[in-house]
Amino acid sequence: MSYRIARDLEEALQLLREGRGSARIIAGGTDLFLQDLPEALVDLSGTPETLGICAEEEMLIIGACVTHAEAAASPLLQEGATVLAEACGQVGSPQVRHAGTLGGNVVNAAPAADAAVGLVAMGARAVIVDTADARRQEAVENLYADYNRSRVDSSREILLHFAMRKHGPGEGSAFKRFASRKSLSLPMFSVAAVVRLEQGLLQEVRLVAAPVKPAPTRLPQVEQRLQGLPASGDTWRLAGELVREAVTVRGSTLRCTAEYRRHLAGVLAERALQEAARRAAGLKAGESK
Amino acid sequence: MKKQIIRFRLNDEPVELLADPAQSLLHLLREELELTGTKEGCGRGECGACTVLLDGRPVNSCLVPAGKVEGKQVITIEGLTRSGEARPLQEAFVAAGAVQCGFCTPGMIISAYALLKANPNPTAAEIRSAISGNLCRCTGYKQIEQAVAMAAQQGRGSSTTTKEN
Ligand SMILES: Cc1cc2nc3c(=O)[nH]c(=O)nc-3n(C[C@H](O)[C@H](O)[C@H](O)COP(=O)(O)OP(=O)(O)OC[C@H]3O[C@@H](n4cnc5c(N)ncnc54)[C@H](O)[C@@H]3O)c2cc1C
Ligand code: FES
Ligand code: FES
Repeated sequence: MSYRIARDLEEALQLLREGRGSARIIAGGTDLFLQDLPEALVDLSGTPETLGICAEEEMLIIGACVTHAEAAASPLLQEGATVLAEACGQVGSPQVRHAGTLGGNVVNAAPAADAAVGLVAMGARAVIVDTADARRQEAVENLYADYNRSRVDSSREILLHFAMRKHGPGEGSAFKRFASRKSLSLPMFSVAAVVRLEQGLLQEVRLVAAPVKPAPTRLPQVEQRLQGLPASGDTWRLAGELVREAVTVRGSTLRCTAEYRRHLAGVLAERALQEAARRAAGLKAGESK
Repeated sequence: MKKQIIRFRLNDEPVELLADPAQSLLHLLREELELTGTKEGCGRGECGACTVLLDGRPVNSCLVPAGKVEGKQVITIEGLTRSGEARPLQEAFVAAGAVQCGFCTPGMIISAYALLKANPNPTAAEIRSAISGNLCRCTGYKQIEQAVAMAAQQGRGSSTTTKEN
């Protein structure tokens, strides 16, 4: 096997071209290094085009090789994409968060990958370039071919960065997951919520649940039912019921039964919405409304 | 297995060797460089026994391909010991009874060192979070948390107590 560290995007693309399908991108390696390795690895993690978090007017741009630790600690994301910073802060362990990247989290295509759930809730789009220098943009939820199979082919395509609108006034978001332990444990279920409040009423709701399908899954029927309702306990309870009905869940011998997962879906949706609304109203955790 | 030249800084000294880039950094350290202070527990990123500092940040060396360290800085427990930088932590671990079989200790010290470097005055919750990627099957963690708090206090000249929460 050969291992090459690309200095910049152009060199990474060139190394993929030379590999003719036998070379693959590696970022943090926290997923890939535990799988069968290809003939050649092209390390993208030091390329300036994939690093850094910046705000451009109302947009946030996050490099694909930004680590979970960087995302979780970023004031720009804590403020403008709270749900994403929170999700990244719950990945694996400090060690895994220092190595693992947002791009790797999405391209690895696990159905309940935390950062991917946060990105879908933010309505993030991925910018992808290929070895023919063609550039395309796709919604993150459309990058999934199947369970654990991405439509991004990392032997000839590179995910460059994610772009999303940051929270505006009256908007708030939250990420809730439940796992058997707080660290080093994949979630049994997770829910991300983004809401916009106007005079105490829900003007806009985005709800994402996982694992439901191969990709983190928006729940548009539930979102629509909640629109216009007051930010109150009754609304969160209704949301919990609607989410329980809306999700299709599978049991897993490793984690939990389908029935328990459905229960979690409801509870986590209630908590995520309540927290998101609290933040939208400018209140801190613990303060109630 | 094709080998390639890998150059990096290890414990503040330049290293250059011909090695398989597809092996883990953990394997490179233990088997080729005979630095056996870094331990292998699970080999899958789940126990933290293999924690080292890569460009100053704690990572699981079992998940780092050796080829990745080209041009980077690696600090192992041997490096921290030689430079004396781990001394307050080592003494606190002994004093608090935070070492039983000792297998998790090098990784714990690295994680704790990274915490104190970034945050010399951590809360109890911050200490727990910093070592949450390090498993210990012996102590039950309390002594380890105490040891890190003691070392932090020492670093501050023992003038304040650790914040609770
Ligand atoms: C112990 C442990 C615990 C974990 N816990 C969690 C958890 O709680 N939650 C969670 O979500 N994940 C978890 N993970 C999984 C993993 O850490 C994350 O998915 C991480 O974000 C992967 O990123 P990476 O940079 O390490 O990817 P890599 O392993 O480098 O790459 C993964 C895949 O993506 C491709 N790829 C990477 N970057 C790009 C790019 N920019 N363009 C094109 N292709 C690319 C690679 O070719 C490869 O196929 C855990 C892993 C371990 C080992
Ligand atoms: S040996 Fe690396 S985390 Fe267990
Ligand atoms: S002291 Fe034995 S594993 Fe921690």
